[in-house]
Amino acid sequence: MMRSRARWATAGLAVTALTGLTACSSTGASAGPAEAEGPVTIEIWGWNAETGEQIVDAFNEAQDDVEVKYVLQASNVATQTNFQNAMEAGSGVPCLVQGFAPLTTMVVNGWAQDITEQVEGSADLYNEGALAAAQVDGRYYGLPSGSDGQFYIVNQKTFDKYDVEVPTTWDEFVDAGRELKPHGVDITNLAGEDPSSLMNLAQQAGAEWFAIDGDQWVVNFTDDGTLAAADVFQQLIDEDLVSNQTYMDKPALLKYFDSGKMASVTTQWWSLGGYQVGFTDSAGDWSAHPIPQFADAAAPVTPGRTAPSFVPEGCEEPDAVMAYTDWLTTPEAVEAGRNAETGAIGFPTQIQDPAPYVEEVIPKDFFADEKAAGEEIVAAQETVIGKFELGPNYDAWFPELQDQWGKAVAGKITLEEAMTAVEEFVASDLESKGISYTVAE
Amino acid sequence: MSVNTQDHHTTAREPVPGSPPGGRARSGSSPRGRTPLWNWRTAQSVKGASLTFPFLAGFALFVLVPVGMALRESVYTTKSTGGLGFGGQTVSFAGLDNFAAGLVDGSFWTGMLRVFLYALVVVPLTQVLSLALALLLDAARRRAAARFRIALLLPYMVPGVVGTMVWIFQYSPTVGPLTPFFEIFGLDVNFFSSSMVWVSMGNLAVWGSLGFTMLILYGALQSVPHEIFEAARLDGASELRIAWSIKVPFVRASLVLTSLLSIIGTLQLFDQPLLFRAVTPETITRDFTPAMMIYDQAFKVGNLNYATALSVILALVVGVASAIIYRFINREEP
Repeated sequence: MMRSRARWATAGLAVTALTGLTACSSTGASAGPAEAEGPVTIEIWGWNAETGEQIVDAFNEAQDDVEVKYVLQASNVATQTNFQNAMEAGSGVPCLVQGFAPLTTMVVNGWAQDITEQVEGSADLYNEGALAAAQVDGRYYGLPSGSDGQFYIVNQKTFDKYDVEVPTTWDEFVDAGRELKPHGVDITNLAGEDPSSLMNLAQQAGAEWFAIDGDQWVVNFTDDGTLAAADVFQQLIDEDLVSNQTYMDKPALLKYFDSGKMASVTTQWWSLGGYQVGFTDSAGDWSAHPIPQFADAAAPVTPGRTAPSFVPEGCEEPDAVMAYTDWLTTPEAVEAGRNAETGAIGFPTQIQDPAPYVEEVIPKDFFADEKAAGEEIVAAQETVIGKFELGPNYDAWFPELQDQWGKAVAGKITLEEAMTAVEEFVASDLESKGISYTVAE
Repeated sequence: MSVNTQDHHTTAREPVPGSPPGGRARSGSSPRGRTPLWNWRTAQSVKGASLTFPFLAGFALFVLVPVGMALRESVYTTKSTGGLGFGGQTVSFAGLDNFAAGLVDGSFWTGMLRVFLYALVVVPLTQVLSLALALLLDAARRRAAARFRIALLLPYMVPGVVGTMVWIFQYSPTVGPLTPFFEIFGLDVNFFSSSMVWVSMGNLAVWGSLGFTMLILYGALQSVPHEIFEAARLDGASELRIAWSIKVPFVRASLVLTSLLSIIGTLQLFDQPLLFRAVTPETITRDFTPAMMIYDQAFKVGNLNYATALSVILALVVGVASAIIYRFINREEP
């Protein structure tokens, strides 16, 4: 324990925030309510059943100023339900809640408190994407959270077999689909229930579905970026270059991914473990590449979004929360998050340089070249966008996007029609909620 | 849900111990004007009635109070204070506005029509199959019947969501056993396709409720006096004739009950389409059934006021439908 504490100290991390905290608890000069002797106690709510508790234990051992209690919730939905109840009751409100919905939703509901002061104090620990994701309207309402940068894995064996070049732009991606189709191979899979591929591509193309203009929202689901993204998918759908397997039928999905009949998929680091288990035949055939870019992009950008954790209104110890969050960036914290059963660690995508950890998240015998794959994953993290504003009513319109995406993927309507329908839904929902908005021309 | 209805049913029919019909008349036999307010009969009645307290308490806490809260919620409307929506919300009295909106809500009533048509097929199918099974079990030897009874009830013990997951894997065109099975007969059946989704869900619904319905009907068959069968056999009636002319009329009241439960359950169709939504998202939208739309309004859109108003409307529709069917089926009961 002494050794780990020393390591923590030498790492020199979290010093800024902790100084403030120590001052608070030792001198008693500050207005903090827990200025009495002994550590500040905070409660964290999350649904990390595997390692949530052990990370908190390690933190409690590493320092004496903050005592964290991890309250394990059953699921994302359970966290939201219990949290809403606690807020409604005005008692038992925790100090840190794992993000169960996009940050703006937390702000609109009056749940997340402004922690700009705390985050700015230790901003240099985090990468730009992580900081961008924690902001709403220029203020920090969330804790810096890593967005998992998307990269592109291809079944190299399939590509080599049919002599197809790995695409670097989305136009080439569609072309590769055309070349593979005669061989009965799909370039990728678009699940009808999951519009996240579209959200990612729109984010990459620079779409801005929600923007803030003074005191109102500017809604635009049909801007150039969105239409550019929609165009890519529309070609894939029209020419029948993709499959539409559902995630609900996971065994079938994995079997198909593993069959060599699906050539490639965009993904993020945490999906690799599942693929490793599910891919028995194609293990070792895969290679990682940068996600294809739009031909007119000035610089490469990587899609990636996150739902940051936040400090609820009513918590009186945001400094302690920040100290804990900062500690999570230390090597000691990453090690504490190692899963005892699988040996896997969580990839710290929020920190400046996650490269030292990447080797740990590459599944064994999955990639033909593991070192190259690791480099791609790190590179994806360097250019991740992080922020994609989803507006004040995401929960309301996401099911509508699902419905419309499902119809478009099935070829019943075009994606442009789908996005227009979603835009109309958003407008009418904001209207009924009494939130000011304007639909962009 | 169904359990609750059943409890209610049992309680309503069982005479309260200690208060036999005519009890009042007999206590009135004491000299006029001197009837004590609290005699031993009243005490016994109260004691007996008090046995219903656990049920009444639960009923009040889990049915009456929530209904009251829902009614209250449904006459208000919650709006943001304007701007970006960061400034909190105001709640104002809306009268019957939410109900008025619900009564003309196209997607809500389309969903209602959808489950209604679905019920027209699924409910009779479940009743007929359950009745057939119950009659077969009744004809079998007791030991054999007991074994089948348990086996047939198993699907009912499986939670709806789990059952749906199991069937989704059975239906899977890629890894499920059913698609290859139908291929043997040269049939290309895709249970995930839009055109098959009603069949897929209907089969699941029948599978899930068959055992429970059968058990109630089987129970009713057990109470048919056996002398009647003997008399019928002596008169030369075949087993089929006995089943149709004696057994079925005897379980009529139970059939009414199981039909009602089945209708109530079907109109509230929720978990199956919710899971099948992932499989055929182009068909099953978020407001596919009334219950799904209520869920969407309450927990996705976040309009709890409107969601409760819709719930009240759905409850009324279910109530009216049950009353009509009860009158219709029960009209000629001897």
